[in-house]
Amino acid sequence: MRWGMVINLAKCMRCHACVAACRVEHFLPLHVTWAKLIAHEVDEGGVVDVSTYPVRCNHCADPPCVHACPTEASYRREDGIVMIDSDKCIGCRYCVIACPYQNRTFLSKDKDPGYFPGYAKTGFERKGRKLYPHQVGTTEKCNFCVERIDAGMAKGRRPGIDRDATPACVNTCQARALTFGDLDDPESEVSKLIRKYNGFQLRAEYGTDPSVYYIDYRIGGAPSNKAPEHARTGYNMKHASTVDRDAARRLGRSTVKGEAKQ
Amino acid sequence: MERRFMVDRKVIRTTCKSCHGGCGVLATVEDGVIVHIQGNPDSLTRGTMCSKGLSSIQHIDNPYRIHYPMKRIGEKGEGRWGRISWDEALDTIAGRMKAAIEQHGPSTIAISQGTGRGYNRYTHRLARSIGTGNIITPGYVCHSPRLGLYGLVTGYGRLYCDYHGWGGEFPKTQIMWAKQLEISSADSEMAVWFINSLEYCKNLIIIDPRASAYASRATLWIQPRPGTDCALALGMMNVIIEEELWDREFVGDWTFGFDELRERVRDFTPQKVSDLCWIPREHVIDAARMFAVDTPGCIQVGSSLERQANCGHTLRAITCLLGLTGNVERPGSMVSWVLPETGLIEDFFLELPLTEEMRSRIIGIEKYKMGAARTCNPDTMVKAINSGNAPIEVWFSVGGQQLVHMANTKEVFEAIKKVEFLVHVDLFMGPMAEAADIVLPAAHWLELDDVYDMHPRFMIEAHNKVVDPPGEAKSDAWIFNEVGRRVAPQHWFESVEDMLDYQVRKGSDGTMTWKQFSERLVSGCWGEDQVYYKYKTDYWKEGGGFPTPTGKFEFASKHLESLGYDPLPVFREPGESPNSTPELFKEYPLVLSSGFRQPFYFLGQYRNIPWLRSYMEYPMVQIHPETAAEYGVEDGDIIWIESPRGRIRQKLRAFPGIKKGVVMATANCFYPEEPARTFHGLFISNPNVLTSNNHLDPMYGSPDLTCLLCRVYRASDQDLKENVFHTEQFGTVPTVEQMAPAERMTRQAQ
Ligand code: SF4
Ligand code: SF4
Ligand code: SF4
Repeated sequence: MRWGMVINLAKCMRCHACVAACRVEHFLPLHVTWAKLIAHEVDEGGVVDVSTYPVRCNHCADPPCVHACPTEASYRREDGIVMIDSDKCIGCRYCVIACPYQNRTFLSKDKDPGYFPGYAKTGFERKGRKLYPHQVGTTEKCNFCVERIDAGMAKGRRPGIDRDATPACVNTCQARALTFGDLDDPESEVSKLIRKYNGFQLRAEYGTDPSVYYIDYRIGGAPSNKAPEHARTGYNMKHASTVDRDAARRLGRSTVKGEAKQ
Repeated sequence: MERRFMVDRKVIRTTCKSCHGGCGVLATVEDGVIVHIQGNPDSLTRGTMCSKGLSSIQHIDNPYRIHYPMKRIGEKGEGRWGRISWDEALDTIAGRMKAAIEQHGPSTIAISQGTGRGYNRYTHRLARSIGTGNIITPGYVCHSPRLGLYGLVTGYGRLYCDYHGWGGEFPKTQIMWAKQLEISSADSEMAVWFINSLEYCKNLIIIDPRASAYASRATLWIQPRPGTDCALALGMMNVIIEEELWDREFVGDWTFGFDELRERVRDFTPQKVSDLCWIPREHVIDAARMFAVDTPGCIQVGSSLERQANCGHTLRAITCLLGLTGNVERPGSMVSWVLPETGLIEDFFLELPLTEEMRSRIIGIEKYKMGAARTCNPDTMVKAINSGNAPIEVWFSVGGQQLVHMANTKEVFEAIKKVEFLVHVDLFMGPMAEAADIVLPAAHWLELDDVYDMHPRFMIEAHNKVVDPPGEAKSDAWIFNEVGRRVAPQHWFESVEDMLDYQVRKGSDGTMTWKQFSERLVSGCWGEDQVYYKYKTDYWKEGGGFPTPTGKFEFASKHLESLGYDPLPVFREPGESPNSTPELFKEYPLVLSSGFRQPFYFLGQYRNIPWLRSYMEYPMVQIHPETAAEYGVEDGDIIWIESPRGRIRQKLRAFPGIKKGVVMATANCFYPEEPARTFHGLFISNPNVLTSNNHLDPMYGSPDLTCLLCRVYRASDQDLKENVFHTEQFGTVPTVEQMAPAERMTRQAQ
C-alpha cells in the first residue's frame, strides 16, 4: 500500500480552499501553511498557459529529508506517509534544506504570533493548542492527514473513497481537482487517472519518486452530454424534493410531499 | 486525533453564507468552541467548501468584531464611540424614522444593504412597511439587470444555467461571459455544479479579457476590449442569421420580432465586431457556430457586464442570442426553476405592495425606468444630496459599503457625510460605519438562526446557530424585526421565531414550523421534479406561451418600447473609451477594468480575516508584461493608476494572461486595519476613486465601473514599495495601546 494523490491542473482554479481546509484541520499557526499553491503564468508564442500547481509534501518513496535527518525524527511509514516525530526533532533544519521541493517549514516563534497578534487567543486557537500541539523549534509539513486516515481506517473506512478517512483538502475542493488513494492498487482512482492522463511527478529528475502526481488536459471535447442516472435524480440527496403546489397545479402535476427518505 | 479528556462534542449542520452562500456545513463544537468546520456531504454542494467559508472560524472571537451598539461621540471619521444599550439605540432610530415620516414623508428614509446575503427580503419588507421605496442596493450593478431583462422573456426573471443534468442533458456548449463561476467569490456554491458539468461539455467558450486556468484550456478564449460585449453578442447573431443556423422551430413558433432583430444585427459583421472588440474576426464566427450548432448550450453572465453603462442592451443582446439558438427552457440550456413547496422566499416582502405613492418618490424613477422601479438609483441620490437638495433624512444601512462600491468615491463620500442620521449594522468597523451616527453589532452566520435563500431559488436552507454571538451582537432578522416593530408594528412579529415560522409556513402541506425546517435543513425542488419547456404548459400562461405582452419570447420587447426604450438591443460605447473619447484616450491611453474577483474575498469583505488576507496582502493590478514595459512599470512595483477623477495605488503583477492595453485593477478594496480618520484607507487603492457617475445606463442607471480609461506610472519613490501603504498620511496599523478607549472596547476579545 502506498498512499498518493493525483492533482488535476485542468480543474484547479486557484481558489485556496485546500490551503484553508488544511489550516482548519491542523489548527495551523498564523504564518504556517502545509498546502501551497504555485502560480504558473506564461505566454509561449501567443499560447497562454495559466495554471496553478497545488503543492504539499510529496511523501517521496526515496525521501532526501528522511536521509538527512540525524535523529530519525523524520521517517517513512509502511504506507508511504513521510512523518516527523516532533518529540525527536531537534530543529536542526537539515531536512528543510534537503527537501528539493521546499515543502518543509521550520516553526520558529515569529511564525506563531497568534491569529490576532496583541490580542487574546481565540477559542479555536486555545482548543487547538490542546488538541494539536505545534512545537515551536521543530519542523512541520503536510502529513497526508494521517490522523484522518488512521482513525478512519480503524472504523473500516477507505481513504480516498470515504470522507472520514480522506485528507481534508481533498474533501473540500469544489473543483474535485484532488484525488487520493493507493498508488499500489492498479484499480484505485489515482492509478486510473495516472494511466488515463499520463500523470507526472513534479521534477521527477530529482529522483525522489514523489507520491503526488499531476495530470492535465484541455477542457471540452466530451463525446456525450447525456446525464447519468445519479445526476438526473438529484445526486442522492437524502432529503426528498418538493414542488410548489401552485406551480404543480399549473404544470398539471400532483404535489410531491417532502418527507425525508432516510 | 486522540481525545485527552471528556468533552462535550457535537456536530451542528448549518448553511454557509460567506458569499451569497448555500454550501452545506458541518461545524463541530467542543465545550462551546468551534473546533472544526467542513462541508456537509449530504447537500447539493456535496461536502465541499471554499476558503471563505472555512476561514469563518476566524470571525469567532475576532477582536475586531463590534460587540455593542454604539453612538458616535466625535466627528465623523474621528473614531470615537460610546456604548449604548439596545433599547436606546432602537428607540433613537425609531424616533428619527417617525419624525422623518411626519415632517418630510416616509420616502425620505433610505434603507440600504450590501450584496444579497439572505436579508434582501428583510430590507425590502422594512422599507415597504414604513412606506418608502428608496431602497439602496448594489443590484443595479450586479444581477438586477439580468433578472429584469430575463424577466421580459420569462416573466419570473430568473434564467439559470442548467448545470445539473436533471433533464437528462448537460450543456454541450457553455459560454462563460465575463465570469469565473468556478471561483466567483459570490456564488461559490455553484462552482461544484458548473465544474462537474464540464465533464460533459463539448465546447467551452470563455469571454474574458483576462485568462484563468479554464480560459487557457478552453475550446475558445475570446478577449474583448472591456465594454464592447454587446457588439460581440450582436456579431454572433449576425453570423447565426447569415449562415442560417438559428433554431427554426423555436424561433418560428415561440418568438416575436425576428425580422427586426435580423435587420438590427445586419451591420454587425465579424469584421466590424473585430474592429470594435479588438479580437480576431474568426473568434466571432467560431463562437457563433459552436453556440448555434452544438446545442443545448448556456451562457453564464458575470456582473462585470452589469457594471457598464450599456448593461441593459448588453444583457438584452445576450438574451436574444439565447432565444435565437433555442437555448431557453431546454434541458442543458437556460432554465427558470420551479420553486419548492415553501414557495417564493421574496413573497415575504412582495406581499406588502409598493404603492403608487411610494413608487412615485423613488429617486431616479423618471429616468431609470427598469433599475429604479423597486429600488432607487444610488448615483442620482448622491448627486441630489450634493446639490443641496437633501432627499434623505434617515439612512438605515445593513452591511454593504456604498462608500466603496459606488462610482466616484469623492462624491459619494461628500454625500454620505451630509446625511442627517445614518445607522449602520455590521460585524466590523469599516468606511460606512465610520460615517454613521449609530452602529449596531451584527451576528455572523455561525451565530444565528435564519432562512437562507439559494441563489437560483429552487431551494431554501436553514442557518442553524452554532455558537453565541459576541457581546450583544444580534442577528439581522432580530434587528430588522425590532426596528420594524417600533415603526410599523402591524407588519412585524412578536419574535424572530414567529417571523421564521411565517416564512416557511407553506412547507409540509402548510404545517411546517421553523423548528422542523431547521431540523430538515432544506426545502428544494430538484432532480426529476424540475420541469423544462414550461412555455409548452400552463405554467406561465393558460394554453402555453411566455408571460410577455405578445405571449412569445420577445426579440423586440413591447414592454421596453412602452417605456420609451429601443425594443431591440443597441450597442453603445462606454462613456470613456478609445472610440467615444479619442482626445481623452491620448492622455489616458489604457483601458481600465476592475472586473476580476478574488476567490478568498467577497467584494469588500474579509481583508481583516488573517487567513484570507494572507492570500493577497495588497490589492493587485494586472497588466500584460509588454504593456507594462511600454509604460515603464515592472512586476512588483507599486504603481499609480490615474483617471480624470483621481489616482490610486496598487501592486503590479505583470501577467501574460491579460489583454494588451488593458489594466485590470482589484475592485472593492479598503484597508480595515487603517484608522478611522482615513475611513479605513478608503482612498488608497479603491478603483472607484477613478470611476465616473456621469454616464449611466439608460435603463438601469449603472455606471461604467469596469470600462474606462486610465494611465499608469511608477510610484515615484522606489523605496516606498510596500511601505507606501503605511505612510503618516494614510496611517499605520494601530496597536491596542494606541487606540482610543472606546474603540478598544469594541476590539478587545471577550
Ligand atoms: S481547493 Fe482545489 S481548486 Fe482550490 S486551490 Fe485547492 S486544488 Fe485548486
Ligand atoms: S517532498 Fe520534501 S519533505 Fe516531502 S518527502 Fe519529499 S523530500 Fe521529504
Ligand atoms: S493532505 Fe492533509 S495535511 Fe496534507 S495538505 Fe492536504 S489537508 Fe494538509
